[in-house]
Amino acid sequence: MALLEAHDLTKTFRRPEKDPGLRGSFKHLFQRKYSTKTAVGGVDLSIEAGEAVAYVGPNGAGKSTTIKLLTGIVEPTSGEVRIGGLVPHRNRVANSRQIGVLFGQRTQLWWDLPVRESLALLRDMYDLSPDRFRAQLKRFDEVLGLDELLPVVARKLSLGQRMRADLACALLHDPRIVFLDEPTIGLDIAVKDRVREFLRQLKAEGTTIMLTTHDLGDIEDTCERIVIIDGGRVIYDGSLAQVKDRYARERRVHLQLGSELTVTELADRFPQATVTAGAEGRREFTIAFDKAELTAGAVLAGVAQIAEVLEVKIDEPAIEDVVRKVYAGELLLAEGSTP
Amino acid sequence: MVAETLFAVRRNARLYRRSLGAVVRAVLEYVADFWILIAAGIVTQSLGLVFLSVVMSRVPHLNGWSYPEMVLIYGLAGVSSGIVPVLSDGIWQLASFIHNGQLDYALTRPAPPLMQVMSAWVGFNGVGDLVASAAMLTWALTRVDVHWTPLNVLILLILMISGIALRLAMCVVANTVSFWLRMPMPMFAMTAWQVGELARYPLGIYGFGLRFLLGAAAPFAFAGFFPAAWLLDRGGYAWLGILTPVVAVLWWIFAVWLFRRGLRRYDSAGH
Amino acid sequence: MKPYRTMARNSMQSTFAFRTAFLMAAVAACFQLVATVALWSALLSNGGSIGGFTLPEMKAYLLMGYVTGWLGNAIGEWVLANRIRDGQVALDLVKPIETQKMMFAQTLGGLPMELIMIVTVGAGFVLVAGPMPGPSNIPLLMLSLVFVMPIRFCIAFLTTQLVFWTQNFHGVSWARNAVGAVLSGSLVPLSLMPTWLQTTAAVLPFASLTSTPALIYLGKVSTPTAYLLIGVQAFWVVALWFLARVAFRAASRQVTVHGG
Repeated sequence: MALLEAHDLTKTFRRPEKDPGLRGSFKHLFQRKYSTKTAVGGVDLSIEAGEAVAYVGPNGAGKSTTIKLLTGIVEPTSGEVRIGGLVPHRNRVANSRQIGVLFGQRTQLWWDLPVRESLALLRDMYDLSPDRFRAQLKRFDEVLGLDELLPVVARKLSLGQRMRADLACALLHDPRIVFLDEPTIGLDIAVKDRVREFLRQLKAEGTTIMLTTHDLGDIEDTCERIVIIDGGRVIYDGSLAQVKDRYARERRVHLQLGSELTVTELADRFPQATVTAGAEGRREFTIAFDKAELTAGAVLAGVAQIAEVLEVKIDEPAIEDVVRKVYAGELLLAEGSTP
Repeated sequence: MVAETLFAVRRNARLYRRSLGAVVRAVLEYVADFWILIAAGIVTQSLGLVFLSVVMSRVPHLNGWSYPEMVLIYGLAGVSSGIVPVLSDGIWQLASFIHNGQLDYALTRPAPPLMQVMSAWVGFNGVGDLVASAAMLTWALTRVDVHWTPLNVLILLILMISGIALRLAMCVVANTVSFWLRMPMPMFAMTAWQVGELARYPLGIYGFGLRFLLGAAAPFAFAGFFPAAWLLDRGGYAWLGILTPVVAVLWWIFAVWLFRRGLRRYDSAGH
Repeated sequence: MKPYRTMARNSMQSTFAFRTAFLMAAVAACFQLVATVALWSALLSNGGSIGGFTLPEMKAYLLMGYVTGWLGNAIGEWVLANRIRDGQVALDLVKPIETQKMMFAQTLGGLPMELIMIVTVGAGFVLVAGPMPGPSNIPLLMLSLVFVMPIRFCIAFLTTQLVFWTQNFHGVSWARNAVGAVLSGSLVPLSLMPTWLQTTAAVLPFASLTSTPALIYLGKVSTPTAYLLIGVQAFWVVALWFLARVAFRAASRQVTVHGG
């Protein structure tokens, strides 16, 4: 049996409907209408110990709700979940010892306390021995630079610092499986890299990871499996490499040149690519191509032969683009769609 | 089994103390606020005393109760309600926690969620309440006509502790209703609290409806009036006071059960 | 003028949206009314009077306490307190609208809902609580009631400004409400109080909130005295309005941004 098993997981919410404006509020006084929204509809999922799974989809697709169902925070309308044999929402306390959770949008630090105090409270809740606690803090300091954050009151942390501290909170008790809901949201590149490095290390240590994100970079090095959800349903479940090979092949190289060129000159040189001129006319260009047919290196080398290259920026497709393509059915998902 | 339960109780008691201690340290960062709250507690508690002393200076007895006896009831009820903000002020934030989906993390930690919510804040106004109420209680106890025996004192202490437990449970229940009401503010609990204030006067002055409400349906009277009636051995109420521990236990069972039911409705703000 | 009108409108709308909250508050107020009536009935059970108030008169007095207690509560002082605390009030200061007027508009917007609560519960009270005298001079009563809302608004707006110096609004508002309950006469008629409390109440604005309308209702004051008391109310409106304005300007000059 897999570490995590979810079968036909469904969650619907009931929300009151209100017409806009004063009249709407007044009408709502006497007559209430409700609408039912299915946030998650019949999700099947099975995660083996040691796997790292990326769980992606557009905003409102049901990602966070799924995570909350899997962690036992909300009770499913129907369907079932088991983690290590436990039903999360029925055995919250026992289950909480084997899972770690992070919601990027929300901190679990005590707002008015120094980070050290929050961690100490969690230490007591998880019954960690002083030695174990010290060892964990040391480990987190190495990757997350935790030491400098320990004396700081949570409300004075920057977003990036907060996320580092929250990661430590989520992983303090060495959970078997960790759920990370947008762990890099709003972070700058430096912190993002740090978080990603931390994820790689977790993965190497054998922790099972389930990760939601909008940033393909987060999952590239960590996750070998990707589950795509939209409208509350799983629309793809399979290998990440396959998805990337098929749907995330487009690259865009933005160039700023020291000398002037024309679109035709460049287009002639790279017949496989699409060349467009930028804002600065003949000194700025964007070259879009399929990475199976051309490489960024080849583009740079080719351009360098005819002009001086001042600035280079390379864009990879965002996970949303991939999801959009998959959803739009631009390319069929025959293989790999059933795990 | 017994050992396990005992271990769990001790563990939770320790966690509770640790959480409250952490909050106290946080609150003490703002010393001025600390004193303002305590002062506010004292001023608020004095309200009833002002009322009582103003009217009782003109009427010697109210429904057969003398001024010191009235102050005794008032102070006794004040002590049990004053503990609530000190020990479980976090429960007043439950409505906003539910509304904003802030229970998420509490539900993923190995400690009872109710305990985590209750210990999420400390209301120092409760300290003010306690100081003022204890002063009234002491003043009244030295003036009422009671024959003191060790047994007497022991039972009074037990009744007071039960009264405190009962007020805590009732406060939990009133706030737990927020799982169903879904308002960002604990309006129901605030209303209930104000109703509870009515139980600081002798129940006999009220009509049947209020007597039934305060004595049975929402038995605030067990957290002040009934124990006082027992101590003073008054009329038909004396035997009711002795039931306070039973009522407290029943309300705690109800509170825990209701909170569990409520958690099943929690939808983390529906995202 | 337009932004203020919109503000009042929004405020009215939100009072309807939070009708359950109003309902709860009304229920609590009902209980309080019934309980205080019970207390006074017990005190005056022998048909006598305390401080010149007979039981029917006392009931009318309590009714006025209920009515005036509702007026002007929709100020949204908690929102302002939170905005001051987290420094967001600085954003208001750069907008071309005055915070004080904006909040007054908001308070005005709450009046319709408050009037609904006053009329429904008040009428119920008159029916249930039994015989009580009617208002002795309706025009004068109405005039004095008009001043209640602005005075309560100014007191609330002034006290909320204390958050510029202390982080904690709970304590401030509790203490203010407790002091207000005593000195406005809503707890017990001021004439029953010890002299020193009466003197204190005479020089503070709280008495204008409840005592003045209630005494005019009951005809406990002569018509000239009633005009004088209404004049005092008017004085407090003007004085407190400008005091609040000056204080807010001074306070916001030293806005301290917390958190960040």
